Amino acid sequence: MVEAEAELKRLMLAGLAGDAAAHRTLLAAVARHLRNYYRARMRGAPEDAEDLVQETLIAIHTRRDSYDASYPVTAWIYAIARYRMIDHFRRHKRRGGDHIPLDDAPELFTAAEDQASDARRDVMRLLDTLPAKQREAIQLVKLDGMSVKDAAARLNLSESDVKVSAHRGLKALMKLMADAGP
Amino acid sequence: MKTDDLIDALARDPAPPPAPPAPRRMAFALGAGLLLGVVLLVTFFGMRPDIGAAQMPVMMKAMFSALAASVAVPVLLQLAKPGRPLGWRIAAVGGFVLLSAGIVGVALIGGDPTERFQLWMAGAFPWCVAIIPLLAAPTALLLTRLLRDLAPTDLRASGAALGAVSGGIGAMVYAMYCPVDSVAWVVTWYSVAIALCAVLGAFAGARLLRW
Repeated sequence: MVEAEAELKRLMLAGLAGDAAAHRTLLAAVARHLRNYYRARMRGAPEDAEDLVQETLIAIHTRRDSYDASYPVTAWIYAIARYRMIDHFRRHKRRGGDHIPLDDAPELFTAAEDQASDARRDVMRLLDTLPAKQREAIQLVKLDGMSVKDAAARLNLSESDVKVSAHRGLKALMKLMADAGP
Repeated sequence: MKTDDLIDALARDPAPPPAPPAPRRMAFALGAGLLLGVVLLVTFFGMRPDIGAAQMPVMMKAMFSALAASVAVPVLLQLAKPGRPLGWRIAAVGGFVLLSAGIVGVALIGGDPTERFQLWMAGAFPWCVAIIPLLAAPTALLLTRLLRDLAPTDLRASGAALGAVSGGIGAMVYAMYCPVDSVAWVVTWYSVAIALCAVLGAFAGARLLRW
């Protein structure tokens, strides 16, 4: 990644300054680096490697204001990539035992619960990429089950505004989920 | 390829509004944590009765605690964003530990040899080791919330730094209650309490700081 530093840093700074095209080029270039990085470390699990590429891209995108321009951008990307991989192993550590002895059968249910919470977390991660208004509307109305009226009062918006935001946000979220794949 | 679609979706997402700088947010969290700690102290323990007459030792203890917190703050700030080496910040923590050991040494050498052990252990149970982490809790919660909003990638180290900062703030609060004024005792046990906070933070951080 060392030779890439100058180019990636230029793209990163331009993207942070609002240049969407530069940001897109950066994400595409980073995706290629990440794919190499994860494939080399996740031998035998190419789907996991691609999942990690996507998770890391989302993290790099949603946390891009955490980049400190006085340090190399490759160090920033590498730290996030490494963190996402450690987090991935931590989340999947308890899975992966196909041959469970009969005595341990109750653990099967625990494992199923874990998977449900994992899936929910993934949605949460995608939810974070939505604009704040849509995210808050979905959180309150669709996830917390608050009435549109109460949510409107809480967010200081009109009721129709909340409805439209929740609807648009859900559509965007569904698209993101379809794109992100299983 | 689906990853390309994800990139398109992300690229259409507008840039986030700039957040207030992390140091300012941390200063706010520390101030609020200190205040909440004082409220906890007054509610459950009360100030030491002779706080008016004992202003000098109380100030010294609070300043020692504030110094402990302030050498850990740069470490925590540095760890809050990815890909930044610690550099001199970790050396400052090491320097503070050496300074503390030096203070204890000088205080013990300067004391009456027959009373040395008494000066150091005061013949009392060091309650501060249990109470300082308690008074540090509000600060720790506020800092945890702040850090989850930033992007720490070394959760164990970040948790330890967060614990040490919170412990220093907790010790500042505890200084208003602490009845023992022996320098060797205070420096020893306050340091143990703050180190305990750092250890607790390292364990809790791996879980609580995930993002």
